[in-house]
Amino acid sequence: MSQILLIEPDRVLAETYRQALLAGGHQVVCCASAQAGIISADQYKPDIIVLELQLIEHSGIEFLYELRSYPDWQDIPVIVHTMVPASEFTLNRHLLRGQLGVKTYLYKPDTSLSELKSKVQENLLVAA
Amino acid sequence: MSEGSELLLSVAEELKLPLMQIARQAEQGGADTASIRGTAEAALRLLDNYALSLRLQERPANLELEPVSVSSVLYDTGQQLDAIARNYGVELELNVTGRYGTVMANRQGLQSALTSLGASLIEALPALESPQLKLRLASHRSRYGIVAGLYTDTPQLTNTALRRGRRLQRQRASRQPLTTISHTTGAGIFVADTILQAMHLRLSASRHHRLYGLGTVMQPNKQIALI
Repeated sequence: MSQILLIEPDRVLAETYRQALLAGGHQVVCCASAQAGIISADQYKPDIIVLELQLIEHSGIEFLYELRSYPDWQDIPVIVHTMVPASEFTLNRHLLRGQLGVKTYLYKPDTSLSELKSKVQENLLVAA
Repeated sequence: MSEGSELLLSVAEELKLPLMQIARQAEQGGADTASIRGTAEAALRLLDNYALSLRLQERPANLELEPVSVSSVLYDTGQQLDAIARNYGVELELNVTGRYGTVMANRQGLQSALTSLGASLIEALPALESPQLKLRLASHRSRYGIVAGLYTDTPQLTNTALRRGRRLQRQRASRQPLTTISHTTGAGIFVADTILQAMHLRLSASRHHRLYGLGTVMQPNKQIALI
């Protein structure tokens, strides 16, 4: 059973995603902010992180910088699942994929629950 | 892009959230119909309030001022916010114990502004990590007039955040202009701001007892001073 850290600021969506991922046989820890995400990563040692970039106070990008600054967390796969269209990251895509180690970028309005579940599964298999 | 289109962009972006909530809940199956209804009604209300803000901007002459009881507006606002508050696990608290008489305002405008503001704050409260998850609808007298506002226990609701947000929104410089208050475009807050401006009122940070909030100051109606 894999441990998923879900960083999602909207409570209603977070609960829907949590239920879907639980049904996929995973354990899910939900956080609404970058700071809580770092604390939870330390506490629960997630196998994968699903991250929204638009957060209150510190953004998802800041979370990624913080996360990747710790040697233990260099290899945790991160799926960005966000309201920000990928087209807005054209210039910084290499930064996300390279330095910040984002494995998959999903535009939230276009991503069904089943697609999210299958991307999580895919990333877990690659990481295993 | 024409003037005012930044608010339309914010509203359009904001509406993705409730539509997505409905789509994902429907996909999950066994969806909670009460929750979906609350989400849809909140989205419709945002659209209505946006339309009202446009009408008021274009024809301010439509704005008829009348003696308005702040307490009754806050009560009705609470009723309108009830469904979305339940969806987000936020407790609404109405505090209208003071007797402040009436103020001169446009009732529909004031209620729309407070409802819009309230819906945005309710969505943001869990992400602001509010310890109590409570939103208090309250009025009080200040040296500037009668204040009606929405209050909570998170200190991020400041005039600095509002000023910065307004600037970023005008410049279309950020898809999240109220970065310390809302994880979305904060369209509801800007719609409230626009409606209040049309009534020559201003949205600003306010304190109520030990709580932080956003609200507006109105002048008491001196024509009907019953108490």
